[in-house]
Amino acid sequence: MSAQAAPTPATDPTLKAPLVRIEDLVKYFPAGGGLFGRTVVHAVDGVSLAIEAGETLGLVGESGCGKSTLGRVIVRLLPATSGHVYFKDTDLTKVRGEKLRRTRQEIQMIFQDPYASLNPRMTVGDIVSEPLRNFGVARGRKAEQKVQEVMRVVGLNPNFVNRYPHEFSGGQRQRIGIARALVLEPTFIVADEPVSALDVSIQAQIVNLMEDLQAKYDLTFLFIAHDLSVVKHISDRIAVMYLGKIVEIGTSNAIRDRPLHPYTKVLESSVPVPDPDLESARKPILLKGEIPSPVNPPSACRFHTRCPIAQQICSEVEPPLEMKENGRFAACHFPGQL
Amino acid sequence: MQDLRVQFATSGGTVTAVDGIDFEIDRGEIVGIVGESGSGKTMTALSILRLIPEPGKITSGRILYGEKDVVEMTDEEIREFRGNEVAMIFQDPMTSLNPVLRVGFQVEEAMAAHARFTRDQAKQRVVPMLQRVRIPAAKDRVRDYPHQFSGGMRQRAMIAMGVSNEPSLLIADEPTTALDVTVQASIIELLRDLSRELRAAVILITHNMALVASLCNRVIVMYAGRVVEEGPTRAIFKNPQHPYTWSLLRSMPRIDETAKERLISIKGLPPDLGKMPPGCKFHPRCKFRIDRCFTEEPPLDEVDPMQRARCWVLMKNVPEPETKA
Amino acid sequence: MAQAAPVAQPDVELTYEMPEQATLLTDAWRRIRRNRLALVGGAIILVLFATALISIVWTPYPTWLQAVGPTYQPPSPAHPLGLDQAGRDILSRIMGGALITVQVGVGSAIIVSLIGIPLGLLAGFYRGSVDTVISFFINIWYGIPDLLVALILVFVLSDALHLIPRGILVIIIAFSLTRWMDVARLVRGQSLALREREFVEAARMSGARDFGLVFRHIFPNALGPIIVQATFAIPAAVLFEAFLSFLGLGLPSPTPSWGAMAADGYHGMDFAPHIVLAPTIALSLTLMAFNWVGDGLRDAFDPRMRR
Repeated sequence: MSAQAAPTPATDPTLKAPLVRIEDLVKYFPAGGGLFGRTVVHAVDGVSLAIEAGETLGLVGESGCGKSTLGRVIVRLLPATSGHVYFKDTDLTKVRGEKLRRTRQEIQMIFQDPYASLNPRMTVGDIVSEPLRNFGVARGRKAEQKVQEVMRVVGLNPNFVNRYPHEFSGGQRQRIGIARALVLEPTFIVADEPVSALDVSIQAQIVNLMEDLQAKYDLTFLFIAHDLSVVKHISDRIAVMYLGKIVEIGTSNAIRDRPLHPYTKVLESSVPVPDPDLESARKPILLKGEIPSPVNPPSACRFHTRCPIAQQICSEVEPPLEMKENGRFAACHFPGQL
Repeated sequence: MQDLRVQFATSGGTVTAVDGIDFEIDRGEIVGIVGESGSGKTMTALSILRLIPEPGKITSGRILYGEKDVVEMTDEEIREFRGNEVAMIFQDPMTSLNPVLRVGFQVEEAMAAHARFTRDQAKQRVVPMLQRVRIPAAKDRVRDYPHQFSGGMRQRAMIAMGVSNEPSLLIADEPTTALDVTVQASIIELLRDLSRELRAAVILITHNMALVASLCNRVIVMYAGRVVEEGPTRAIFKNPQHPYTWSLLRSMPRIDETAKERLISIKGLPPDLGKMPPGCKFHPRCKFRIDRCFTEEPPLDEVDPMQRARCWVLMKNVPEPETKA
Repeated sequence: MAQAAPVAQPDVELTYEMPEQATLLTDAWRRIRRNRLALVGGAIILVLFATALISIVWTPYPTWLQAVGPTYQPPSPAHPLGLDQAGRDILSRIMGGALITVQVGVGSAIIVSLIGIPLGLLAGFYRGSVDTVISFFINIWYGIPDLLVALILVFVLSDALHLIPRGILVIIIAFSLTRWMDVARLVRGQSLALREREFVEAARMSGARDFGLVFRHIFPNALGPIIVQATFAIPAAVLFEAFLSFLGLGLPSPTPSWGAMAADGYHGMDFAPHIVLAPTIALSLTLMAFNWVGDGLRDAFDPRMRR
């Protein structure tokens, strides 16, 4: 795959001091041996991104687009196939062993499933204090105090340190997961679908909490979700992903108001608005066909098989992700024409 | 179907999952039942088919379908009713389809099982049925197995099975929750068109208020096994009277928001069905409660023509609710 | 977002009520209590252990003492289970046999677990070449006729270790060396599945080292199935010992092994069936009890498997 123009301060004048720079990141999974040699899943296929210090970058896309894999490769839960992830000045794809372990003090993750991401055999106190113990940051009484403080910050009753995860509701469990991510005072947090498993009224609690925490601790978030309304609400900028590639990057208002990439436009039009009058005026753009398999993605522009405005060139030449306007990147031959 | 009146209370053991609900739905109407998990919305739908899982039971009330009471039907009648008059579509199509049988065969079975069509007629109707739910290349895909279908296609196949007998009532329980938003949009379009073509009544059960806004004529909001508000979609969205409805609408981020506004969150959790609070069931989480809410449960009263709410306060009586919330 | 919005108070829910809920163990206990067979099995096992303990300090007669009465005497008030062909008190010998059964069963379960658990954890956690090697040995071992090898092991070990000829320890080791694979394979499967779970990923993000991942996160969550598997190893080992002793290859006379006792009475089965019946019934009850409890535990630890 061709390297894409990386949105770095050099190519994107609106970026000031990116905390995380991702360059041409690739992640392939073996998909089992076919009859003719091995096939691979092109989960992440040449992604370049920059995340500004202190911002929330939303990463949105549909299931199977590779957004969760991208998040896991960035924090090195999965090794990259190729490419680089620079955090400050270290290339995370290169560190391993004890050095890799040390990076967890600054980079944390919030997981999607509040039921699966907490060890059912550990008490809340043990779960939240585990990072402290692993890094020898605090022990004994000091660790206890720190845990209670963090629990209070995320809105959990500190008296419940000795309870087990299954005694809590989904929203409370997600707070436990957030407390665990916060306890080491990291600078960068990848949140992988942190609210999609929660009930609507609980989602708002968690979204508000994350916003408050960001303001309080000056955190940088990569917020991964499939729900464009949530991403739009919480993010400063949004990156849209389709079949392993970033198709558009821009500020969240710009993405919503004037999508450049046709896929973004489709996505935006498909999200229902809780307003019957607006809804009757809106008409979702329906896509033809199914999302192609990432084992065998379409050549050139990956969206051309389903794109309402595809032309000849779209199936022949891959459009690079390049800056179309100030701070706005799109990978499309006909940006803004849908 | 003229006038389906549902009026019942369900109780599983001592836990009351659905308590004294009544509503009616007409042919061609699309009604949304909205609520969070545990609000009793699914139980309500299941009781229309008398499919309440053990040890649940319909302990009182009537479900009138036309002139007949579903609660009183014999086993034979209820089977007939489920097969020919009502179709239900579930959240996860994979669990409702048999993984070792071809999709086409399963659709055929669904038609043949209920004696409206002979085996041969059923066989011939399979492909048109799949085309009707817009499965592309239906002719080739009848021979596929469920796992060869994507989530959206499986849901379409389920809908095909459901509508193959031209039911007059279609119950869709979270039909798009497991699906991507672009697929969701197309399934919603499909449901809209089918309800028009079949002149069927549709009940859409969902937690997603926005979905209701786009599809339904009427909304029923449920909380803790009770209807807390009910009315025409427009009224509910523009003029919600129950604080729960009001907060729910402001708790979800809207794609069309212009300025970044803080979401209004509902503190706490829905009550445990075994340990219901006294008085209004929502009062522990309500920001607008008054003394009366703690002790007396409000009735579902008319607040506007067509619109009813179960609240002592009503949002129209609260000046500047945003500042209070 | 940097232009800090006024820092609002987090949506604190410090005051919500916490529902009283059962922990995993009490939950399992509640489920197993509803399983009658498991309860009966548990009661039998309790009696077995109690009998075994009592037999250490007291039996009505010494288990080896011959001619406490007429040979082949049927049950009588003085000797509730009768006497055997050498005039030994069968009740005393059944009690002594209980101790041997418990030692063999529990000992084997422990050794099998000690071999199987680490191997399974290693294979499942590290995968790759570690797994390839361990899985290779597991499969090879399954291919070996275990009874034959166990028999050979009994002889070889007895010679090599200069233990009292064919002692209990030898039988335990012979059994464990041929039957460790069940536990190893189970633990391997469990840790393969568990290492992919989000809470293990989360522990990695928390900076856990491999040791912590395996022993704090994977092993405790595999404990339920491991206990079940170990429970099933007990009756297998008991049967193995009885079988060897019945053939005269296990514990030597006058050790009161149930298998040997059944063999002793074999020739008098026509006129003194009580000599065979007593150890056989004791053995059957023990085997059934452990199997019932094993099934009960499996259901209790994994509610999805319940019928």
